[in-house]
Amino acid sequence: MNAPELSIRVQYFALLREQAGRSDETVTTRARDPRELYAELRARYPFTLPPEMLRVAINTEFGEWTQPLKAGDAVVFIPPVAGG
Amino acid sequence: MNTFRFSTGALDTGALQREMRDERCGGFASFEGWVRNHNEGHAVTRLEYEAFVELAEKEGARIVEEARVKYGVTRAACVHRVGSLALGDVAVWVGVSAAHRDEAFRACRFIIDEVKHRVPIWKKEHYVNGDSGWVNCERCAMPAAHEHEHGHDHAHHHPAHAQPSPDYSRQIALREVGTEGQARLRGSSVLVVGAGGLGVPVLQYLAGAGVGRIGIVDADRLEPSNLHRQTWYALGECGQEKSSLAAARVRALNPDVRVEAHALRLDAHNAERLCAGHDLILDCSDNFTTKFLLNELALRTGKPVLFASVYQYEGQLQLVRGDNATACLRCVWPEATRDGLIGNCAEAGVLGPVPGVFGSLQALEALKLLMGLPGIKPDEMLIFDLVTLSTQRLRARRMPECEAHRRATSPAPAAPEELEMHFDSLADARNAGFVFVDVRDARERATDPIPGESLHLPMSKLLTDATSLELAGRYLLICATGKRSGAAADLLRSQGFAECRSLGGGLKRLKASA
Repeated sequence: MNAPELSIRVQYFALLREQAGRSDETVTTRARDPRELYAELRARYPFTLPPEMLRVAINTEFGEWTQPLKAGDAVVFIPPVAGG
Repeated sequence: MNTFRFSTGALDTGALQREMRDERCGGFASFEGWVRNHNEGHAVTRLEYEAFVELAEKEGARIVEEARVKYGVTRAACVHRVGSLALGDVAVWVGVSAAHRDEAFRACRFIIDEVKHRVPIWKKEHYVNGDSGWVNCERCAMPAAHEHEHGHDHAHHHPAHAQPSPDYSRQIALREVGTEGQARLRGSSVLVVGAGGLGVPVLQYLAGAGVGRIGIVDADRLEPSNLHRQTWYALGECGQEKSSLAAARVRALNPDVRVEAHALRLDAHNAERLCAGHDLILDCSDNFTTKFLLNELALRTGKPVLFASVYQYEGQLQLVRGDNATACLRCVWPEATRDGLIGNCAEAGVLGPVPGVFGSLQALEALKLLMGLPGIKPDEMLIFDLVTLSTQRLRARRMPECEAHRRATSPAPAAPEELEMHFDSLADARNAGFVFVDVRDARERATDPIPGESLHLPMSKLLTDATSLELAGRYLLICATGKRSGAAADLLRSQGFAECRSLGGGLKRLKASA
């Protein structure tokens, strides 16, 4: 892996927060995009939801799974919720 | 005789009972209400009853007729005293005769509960210490606690002097509201879909603010597990339709509001009719099916829908304008989103104030929208995490490839594929050639086993690995309520399992129909 190490702030919502056991954290990663980052986190936490069922937001904007990450990005993983 | 009447003199219960005699009847049940010597800690010496006779007689006769039809009883009557009564006097008498005792008891109970609740009668108590007081009219605030099997909404009539008029001065005082804003609210009509955790605060604030017309859609009946977050309702009302309960409370809070209760589930057939005539739709539902249906409706009709959804300690708020330029729910969640995969209040749990916060926000945004004040933007989703109290405003874009936007502009909407099947018994389903797949977890499977053979593929496993199933297999997926199995069938279909179906309504429905 020759991708540079990035420091990324990650936030989890709903089922992901439950499964990660935390709301947010700062991770150091060589992931190049949210897809790689999520795959990396999936190895650490028992996430059951596949990426297709989530949305990722980068710096307060819904983004793409293949969008390149930059150092200091704030990444939010969020599933839909329906409770009322 | 009149089936409901007032009497100024003492009641002759023996004579009343004789009027109920009928050769077709094998049972007679009666109820007598007596003047007792205390009320809420005060010693009572005598009572006076006053009634708004003209309205009371009509409403009373309606109640007796409802009981007669509802329980199929032969004769029914109710007599209520007015004037001054002494301790021990009979204040109200109800008598019912019927072929069998069960319907006589039930009709008798129904009549006295409804009379207490609906008929405008006031009681003045005279206490030992010489004081007296009119006991509050509790009819509107406290609906009757017996079981309702129909979706009636009663009109509650009060004498003009009994109640002050609604007063909006505290919000008219706001420069941004004023009399013009108030007039706008009065001229507005809002449909609230769901009268649960979100719907309760929404309805309270919309009614309080004087929104002119409110429609309430909810198919559910109140359950004890609702009450920690739906604190408008009472434990004694469990089993009653939430739409009727909510409508009665809206009326009690603000008689200016025209309110309509719809005790049904919003679906593809009735959605357009239910939304007709309303300016704004508030989604307070607890399931994706309803949310995406409302999303499609917004796009098709151009009517704005304000969505709110909660999960445990957090929630999401989004406004869909229904135009072709701004984001819709499907722009944000392009994948098929089915109930059962993510967890709802029942499965995942929720803290009571969480829907309270989001319902209040929804009401706030709705009022601002109706009055043309700034608020949530169409291209954003608000996310509040109420554990850390962090808030996010995420920008969402209109996706060029959005399926919902495309369908809204195409002439004929495609019929959804039939994923669900309904059977009267599991044996019928087996005879239809289905192999059963239990998608519940091991604990549920152990406590409530499916008779006969079934495969076990819990949701957690199914999401990651369905390799034990055959692509062409004729599978019937089964869970407790049909939600998870529906989601599972949807997922398997998308993976090429063309012949898999979900048992509609789950095991619960089978038990209910058995």
